[in-house]
Amino acid sequence: MMKTQGDKSFSARRVGAVAAVAFAIVATMLPSAFAAGEVLGKACKLAGVSTGTLSTSLTCKADSKGKLTWQKVRLGQSFGTPIAEITPPKGSIEFWHYRPEDKAYFTKIISDYEAKYPGTKIVQVVKTTTDYNATARVQILANNEAALFASARGSIFNDFVKSGLTADLTNERFVKRNLVAKGISAGVIGGKVLGVPYHYLFNNPVYNTELWAKEKWTIPTNLTGWVSWCKDAKAKGYVPLAWPGATRGQAAQISNSALMNSAASYDALSDNLADLNSGKIDLTSTWFKGVADIYVKLRNAGCFPENPTGVTEAAAYNLFATGKSPILPIGTFAMGSIKALNPALTGKMQLMSMVLTDGKVVAEGIMNNTFNLSVNAKSTPGDQRIAKSFLSYLATGAVGAYYANSTTQHVNVLDVDYSANVDLLNTSSFQAKNTMLAPRFLLLNTSVSDLTQDALIQIVGGKSPDDVLPDFSKQIKQKLAG
Amino acid sequence: MIFKTTRIFALLTFAALILVPSLIVVLGSFKTDAEVYNKPLSLPEHWNFDNYRRLLSESDLDISFRNSVFVTVASVVLTLMLASMASFAIARMVTISGKVLATLFAFGLAIPAQINLVPVYYIFRDLGLTNSFLGLIIINITTTLPISIFILTAFFREISKDMYEASEVDGASPLRIYRSIALPLSRPAMGATAIFLFVINWNDLLWPLLLIQESGKKTLPLAMLAYRGEYFVSFSMLFTAVMVASLPMVIMYLLMQRSFIAGLTAGAVKG
Amino acid sequence: MGSPALVLFLAFYLYPALQNLQFATRRWDGISEPENVGFRNFTNLLTNDDLFYKTLGNNIEFTFLVVIFQTALALLFAVYLVKNTKTTIALRTLYFFPTILSSVSVGMIWLFLYDPNFGALNLFFKSVGLPSFALNWLGSETSALYAIAFTQVWFHTGQMMVVYIAGLQQIPKELYEAAEVDGASRWKQFTKITWPMAMPTTLVVMAYTTVQSFRAFDLIMVMTNSTAGPNNATSIFSTLVFFTLFNELRLGYAAAQTIFMVLTLVLITWLQRRAFGKRYEK
Repeated sequence: MMKTQGDKSFSARRVGAVAAVAFAIVATMLPSAFAAGEVLGKACKLAGVSTGTLSTSLTCKADSKGKLTWQKVRLGQSFGTPIAEITPPKGSIEFWHYRPEDKAYFTKIISDYEAKYPGTKIVQVVKTTTDYNATARVQILANNEAALFASARGSIFNDFVKSGLTADLTNERFVKRNLVAKGISAGVIGGKVLGVPYHYLFNNPVYNTELWAKEKWTIPTNLTGWVSWCKDAKAKGYVPLAWPGATRGQAAQISNSALMNSAASYDALSDNLADLNSGKIDLTSTWFKGVADIYVKLRNAGCFPENPTGVTEAAAYNLFATGKSPILPIGTFAMGSIKALNPALTGKMQLMSMVLTDGKVVAEGIMNNTFNLSVNAKSTPGDQRIAKSFLSYLATGAVGAYYANSTTQHVNVLDVDYSANVDLLNTSSFQAKNTMLAPRFLLLNTSVSDLTQDALIQIVGGKSPDDVLPDFSKQIKQKLAG
Repeated sequence: MIFKTTRIFALLTFAALILVPSLIVVLGSFKTDAEVYNKPLSLPEHWNFDNYRRLLSESDLDISFRNSVFVTVASVVLTLMLASMASFAIARMVTISGKVLATLFAFGLAIPAQINLVPVYYIFRDLGLTNSFLGLIIINITTTLPISIFILTAFFREISKDMYEASEVDGASPLRIYRSIALPLSRPAMGATAIFLFVINWNDLLWPLLLIQESGKKTLPLAMLAYRGEYFVSFSMLFTAVMVASLPMVIMYLLMQRSFIAGLTAGAVKG
Repeated sequence: MGSPALVLFLAFYLYPALQNLQFATRRWDGISEPENVGFRNFTNLLTNDDLFYKTLGNNIEFTFLVVIFQTALALLFAVYLVKNTKTTIALRTLYFFPTILSSVSVGMIWLFLYDPNFGALNLFFKSVGLPSFALNWLGSETSALYAIAFTQVWFHTGQMMVVYIAGLQQIPKELYEAAEVDGASRWKQFTKITWPMAMPTTLVVMAYTTVQSFRAFDLIMVMTNSTAGPNNATSIFSTLVFFTLFNELRLGYAAAQTIFMVLTLVLITWLQRRAFGKRYEK
């Protein structure tokens, strides 16, 4: 584990604590399943919980008799053990990304790296997600200094690839040996690794375990259950879902849950989304009307906040952090910011399956490998080498662990220990669930993706799908024609 | 009577519309987020400087502030130089070239340089003027030249003809007349224009957003936009950022309010 | 003597403006070879783009509202505060104050004030017993544009008031004194002396406010989270061009949009001149 300087944020301080202290804190805060620590072969209670991605890490898994025990699970691609970072040449590059909330931690990682390799400099260029998605590709195209850049899986990453900006990383040793094998696929196009998905996210609603215990709620298992739960929660004075309708990107997270069981299978769903993306079908198709209908049912049950289309991220996070809302329908990556707002929620958050169908359940939850880090193919060879070096540095266990624990996000890197961050440990149980790779990112055309989400937001805002769906279908058609 | 009552009512309403939001920001910067949300107008339960401490330790607002000062001052000074010369030419040279100049800049006044967003980006990229203060200063000057020339020309036209003619008889060159007569006389107008330009350049977001990416070269509005991303969930931190970013300007404004307002009232913007 | 300014202006204003015309006839993503498409961008905008018409409507409405209200308020406050006393100078200082803030700051402040569930504005309306005024300001298609227009007026009225005061203080006092002697009412003094005498200033203020309103880009970006508002309710030309350029990478199309932006601006300016300028033109 890396040492932290006199750091400010709560989670960073936590990382800085000696492992033993951390473990003690973890032990007192965790649900009983973890209190005793983990021993290979011993019984465990919550399937999927994983202590990390070390070769010695344990995962709670059903054995051949169906009994949950702590087991070792191989996560790497090859038999080789993770390697240290590539030594960089001297020089300076820019690292572009869209996680302003991670800036302080990247600054720390970069300063350690620069101290290790004097003469090599990494300059962070950070934008908000929306600005990044809107402007970064044009600006990186015009800027060879930007040798390392991030992009979200789906339309954004795809656009970067189409612009010829992503160098082939397939044969890099660290790609083969340092990363969780099954997590890489989100960065693979045409058989080549063109981006390294650094995050291992779960875009499922986060809930406040304390509130749920207090109200003696159980997680609904179908759409009818959700409708009645929302009514109950609303009657008790809560805002059932702290949904930020004013911010498209985050409002869209719940659409993953709505989409995941909207078709008979993942393949059928992918086909539908591909057809929507190409204009073969539009939002008035039977399938999408079904998705819209989920939103209508949730809306009519009072699941969303008052004036939902005006709820900013700040308002939604605060609703959840202050206990006015039991669910923040965003994802694991929101937990860090919540803890900054209310440290008392540490260890009291868990992920939930949000099954929004009364029919066949295809998946129980969502996962996403994203924050694809790519090396700029148009940068000079020397700059590319620095970019690869820094990327391989990020892919070492110690750095990955520091980043994961500081930002409360699982990473796609091997040799990471999550036991210092109780919320990472708790939510890792989702790895065992029947999860689906976040489907909303299958809409690869940015305009189609944005307009689809905007249509759903309008429906939550109170409009009828009969008006919204034809209107937005027309807008999509016009964008696709242009 | 009606005049008096409506006057007082209107003046107080607008005053409140400015004072109350300002108060919310000032108080909010000392509060926790829960307080900001639940009791926006009340005093903080505990006055503490945690938000400020956190912001100052995490941010590089000082760098952005320096960048903004440099870019703004350089832009204003250079614009004034170029604009006053051009205005002098327009006002004094009642020839074809003066008319052409006047028409051209009038055109620029009606149609702001923002329409050139697309080509400017590619021209600046090819000239290596992205991520550069020089690029930003050039575009600032280009954007504000028409309005400056508009203000200053009106002023130079008003300086009595006799003065110019007297010196022309003495055989002074136009440059000399400009330096020894027009410039000294135009100090109030220049001051007013300077303040006008200062406010425009200081607050501009569009061009920096287009041309500047490196965090070390961000201007203040751009840095503020980044803070909006960084503290997207915390209005108490955003308010603190607003405070820190605005404070130098507010102090300057309060110290120099006479020149700010008197400047504008003395010379300003005559049609 | 005008040549340095002229050179800069030709190089960075006129040349790009002409290049823009050329761009507008292309289909280009900024990467691959540009393709010449003649007038297709224009016909596409005019015949197959609802967003374009929405933007045009929004922009005209926004400019109209801002120009009318900002000019009227600026003139009103200028009349109220034209005399130099301690109170009036203090109020002028206060009213001018928002102008010195950055537009990003102003956007963030109003984003919070407008919050439908926590914002001070709705708290106020609810506490004085007017809950029907507590709208979903920025989240609703019907109010978002007005909410931003109001912020724009709040932001710049003080600045224009100061310009007006400068104009009003040049009106010879004797005119008012003579009117007093004739027993003219305040309203009559306003319509017969102030308004016509301030006409040059009014033209300047309106021209400036018009251009300024076309640049409300910053406020919109901050207050609607880098989108163009709910269902593009706050899409104006500057945001449209920005998103077409960056989000969709359609440079030619964006260039064509700017040409319509110019035409709109010219049209509005011309209408203003026609409506108010006649009496003043010498």
